[in-house]
Amino acid sequence: MSRPETARRAPRLELKDIVLMVMLGVVFGFLYWALVQAWNGLAVLMGPAGDLAQHVLLGGWLIVAPIAIAILRRPFVGIVAEVIASVIEVVFLGSPVGPILLVVAAIQGLGSELPFAAGRYRRFGWARYAVSGLMGAGLVFVFSAFRFDWWGQDILLLRLGLQLASGVLLGGLLARVVVDALVRTGALDNFAIVRDQADRRAPVARRER
Amino acid sequence: MSADPAPLVEVRGLEAVFATGDGLGPVDLRIEPGEQVLVVGPSGAGKSTLLRCLHGAVPHAVHAEMTGTVAVAGRDVHATGVADLADTVGVVAQDPETGVCLTEVADEVAFPLENLGTAPEQIAGAVRDALDLAGAAHLEGRSTDTLSGGELQRVALAAAVAPRPRLLLLDEPTAMLDGDGVQAVRAAVDRVTRAGTAACVLVEHRLDEYAGPDGTSGLPGRWVVVDRNGRVVHDGPAADVLDRAGADLLAQGCWLPLDAELRVVLGSGDLTSGVVRDGLRALAARAEEQTAPEPEPGPGSEPGAAVLRARGLAVAPIGSPRPTRRRPVTPVLRDVDLELRAGELVAVVGANGGGKSSLLTCLAGVQEPLAGTLEGPRPGLVLQNPEHQLSRTTVREEVAVGLPPGPQTEVLVEEVLRELGLLDHAEHNPFRLSGGQKRRLSLAAVLVHERPFLLADEPTFGLDRHGTVAAARALAGAAAQGRGVMFTCHDLRTVAGYADRVLVVGQGTVLADVGPLDLVRDQRLLAAARLHPPRLVQHLAAEVGGSGELRAVLQGLDDAVAGLARPATAVVPV
Amino acid sequence: MSWLERANPTVKMALLLVVSLATLFLLDVRVLLTLYLLGLVAAYGAARLDVRTLALAQVPFLLFAVGLVMVNAVSRPGEPLVEGSAVRVTVEGLVMGVALALRGMVIGVLTVAFLATTPPRDLMASLAQHARLSPRYAYSMLAGHRMLVAMPRRWATIRAAQAVRAPLGRDGRPRLGVRDFGRAAFTLLVGSVRASERIALAMESRGLSAGPRTVWRPVPVGRRDAVLAVVVLGTAVAVVVGGRLV
Repeated sequence: MSRPETARRAPRLELKDIVLMVMLGVVFGFLYWALVQAWNGLAVLMGPAGDLAQHVLLGGWLIVAPIAIAILRRPFVGIVAEVIASVIEVVFLGSPVGPILLVVAAIQGLGSELPFAAGRYRRFGWARYAVSGLMGAGLVFVFSAFRFDWWGQDILLLRLGLQLASGVLLGGLLARVVVDALVRTGALDNFAIVRDQADRRAPVARRER
Repeated sequence: MSADPAPLVEVRGLEAVFATGDGLGPVDLRIEPGEQVLVVGPSGAGKSTLLRCLHGAVPHAVHAEMTGTVAVAGRDVHATGVADLADTVGVVAQDPETGVCLTEVADEVAFPLENLGTAPEQIAGAVRDALDLAGAAHLEGRSTDTLSGGELQRVALAAAVAPRPRLLLLDEPTAMLDGDGVQAVRAAVDRVTRAGTAACVLVEHRLDEYAGPDGTSGLPGRWVVVDRNGRVVHDGPAADVLDRAGADLLAQGCWLPLDAELRVVLGSGDLTSGVVRDGLRALAARAEEQTAPEPEPGPGSEPGAAVLRARGLAVAPIGSPRPTRRRPVTPVLRDVDLELRAGELVAVVGANGGGKSSLLTCLAGVQEPLAGTLEGPRPGLVLQNPEHQLSRTTVREEVAVGLPPGPQTEVLVEEVLRELGLLDHAEHNPFRLSGGQKRRLSLAAVLVHERPFLLADEPTFGLDRHGTVAAARALAGAAAQGRGVMFTCHDLRTVAGYADRVLVVGQGTVLADVGPLDLVRDQRLLAAARLHPPRLVQHLAAEVGGSGELRAVLQGLDDAVAGLARPATAVVPV
Repeated sequence: MSWLERANPTVKMALLLVVSLATLFLLDVRVLLTLYLLGLVAAYGAARLDVRTLALAQVPFLLFAVGLVMVNAVSRPGEPLVEGSAVRVTVEGLVMGVALALRGMVIGVLTVAFLATTPPRDLMASLAQHARLSPRYAYSMLAGHRMLVAMPRRWATIRAAQAVRAPLGRDGRPRLGVRDFGRAAFTLLVGSVRASERIALAMESRGLSAGPRTVWRPVPVGRRDAVLAVVVLGTAVAVVVGGRLV
């Protein structure tokens, strides 16, 4: 008679998983936009250093992928979430970078996802988040270096260092801080991150009030 | 297979247990085609959960351990899934903002038809019919970003009925709306349920507002009562259920239609009867006895007492960008002159979208006025949605925000937590509290700052009967301690029962600054501000001799209802 | 309605992507400048953008361009522009900087023309119709668009709640720092995650699934789009080839 809902997860993402990825793109897209409003003025004032200053925030672009993977625990979620975020950035928020951003997003999503894929979407330690941020930033650096022809510049290593550091901090470790805090609020109770844990525990006893 | 015509809904031995330990059931329920059912019960009883079980949202979208079966039109809901039931079941949820998903009204209503594979050439007609039925025909060409909550709910209703479902599920469809919105949505629901053969299950907790002038007879004829533990305790015709469970429901904090409430408290539901008139008078007398005599000197008459004063204020809508010469911001309110004095409780009333919330944020000094001057000490502000105020990991930390760390703050925090009954939750995550607890927390976090003025945006919104009275009394208490308190409120019964003075907002300005009784007697003013006082208040406006008597009757009735709850709480261990 | 407004969104998006990617392989200042000017003409003529809007839309690209030119001018080895000056500006760096900046401006002006003529609703509907994008994704994105429109107001409300309780600075205004920005962002995130669950349930209860569905007001695709593709690609190739020959 009893029919606990322990059936295996459906092979594809549920609608609420997709809407969650979109929402992550919307929220971080909006926050990034709010931040960049203040940032652009600063970047111009800083002259040549302004271009470098952009790198400090780069990690912020990466954060959506590890958060989505940690919550949904499914393959390709990092790449898909990043691409969705970039579409929101370009089509809804009118990012001046244009459609190139879609390509950038796919590349950095791939980089961010690889460490989690290597852990078969079951391991979510601090180090894995850090490597995720590092790889996301690293892969996208290669593409950006080609795009802006950084190879010939004197400051190549400085750029690399800034982007990797930003990736590890903002695009990796910060993601774990956010995910842990979100779990504690109860907002993720119906997503894989909490559900998978609950499936392994004994069934809950009903409580009287 | 049985040869009998199957019921539309058949629930057998349903029990759902959530990870939190909260549960629903056992539920056994048969609903025939065309039947109208109202689900009532105290906050947190699982009324919405029952509704969600009927279309598969539990356990498909919201996880729970399930036993028993739910079948709709002969289909097992558990095996079918939410989307596949969309041809049979239409759903309208509480929150208008998230119940409408697309940017154009017509697209929104066409959306379920497209999903069900309706032939494109039939869709235009079906969209128009559905909008017509939901009283939203005039909205067809509009963008959903420009609609009010009441309009959005009508669009959501149109989308729910567009595929002509055989079962309509309404989960507190008016919970987030003002008086105007409630009336419009209610009228639309009536038309929809009367027109078709669709059965309808309605969950609603503001029953008096929802029922409107018809009282209990304006509600579905069959009531299902769920108790605080999620068990179905009554199921039958409204009159029978009210006879058996009316007092219980009232004691547990449910809003009942006025006639039902009066029958429980005074023995008759007829406002004009002698029993009720005498009963109300007796309640008023008792309430007046209990109230302490007016403290002298009266509110604000103390020389040198602080005053919050606005002159010629023009208020920008919340979230509007800083005005520039090229992009000026149109104010929602202009030419606002007002004073808030120490020791008084002032209500701000008016239709949604009229600028009440914007006025409070402006008075609180966090949104610059577009014009005019504002003087006085810095007030505290409690927001309508308490979640907007939360950001810390424990309730205790949340209350201490903005205070200097130290033993003095710790004592202060402890005190205010005890006062508002949150001490047991001090180490919990604030986001995990119940709706009512979050509201108390948001009030605690502002009270602890001990500012001379307190502004509260819809502090009674979404609360049950007990919660509403407790909130109104907490504000009145803060005023009695010498604070100047201003609150926005759409519930004129609360306003008439507790406010000293009312600011009426409408037509882009403050239309009047009057006493509560003067407001409810002024039909022109009520119409101009699009206000609809509930039946009890309308009736009393004509009956009572003065403001004091109006207040005494309403508070007396609140006392009587609170009295019903007392024996029950003494028995139930906390 | 302008000519570009009537063109199919998927075709426009594909062309924009192809041309944008192609510019990544170009470093010839004359070619890029020609493409940029042609882009401006297209935005003015085919997308019917007025001069003021068009000029304002160039501001972010110009800011970005200025930074790019400056950093390249001073960070690349090569012939110094002025001998013995304090900051070493090289000719090679300057040329490279201008080319990179122009690249961004070509993509920018085309993106502006695309966005000005493509409502999100039509783009998503068209992607579902013509690019086989799953309706579950297309409509989730549209719901996201609606949420995005509501963001500034929700953000302002959260920030107002913070400001009320924040200690005052020396200027008498509430003092809010970087940590408070983070906290407000988290509050926004929690509310949005909850909202996303409700939205998903609303769409699912209206029958949205991966299965087949009909489309009430389909986005058209036709000969005009073929012409657009030929004109855009032809012009781009002609300019690039022209640049090589001259």
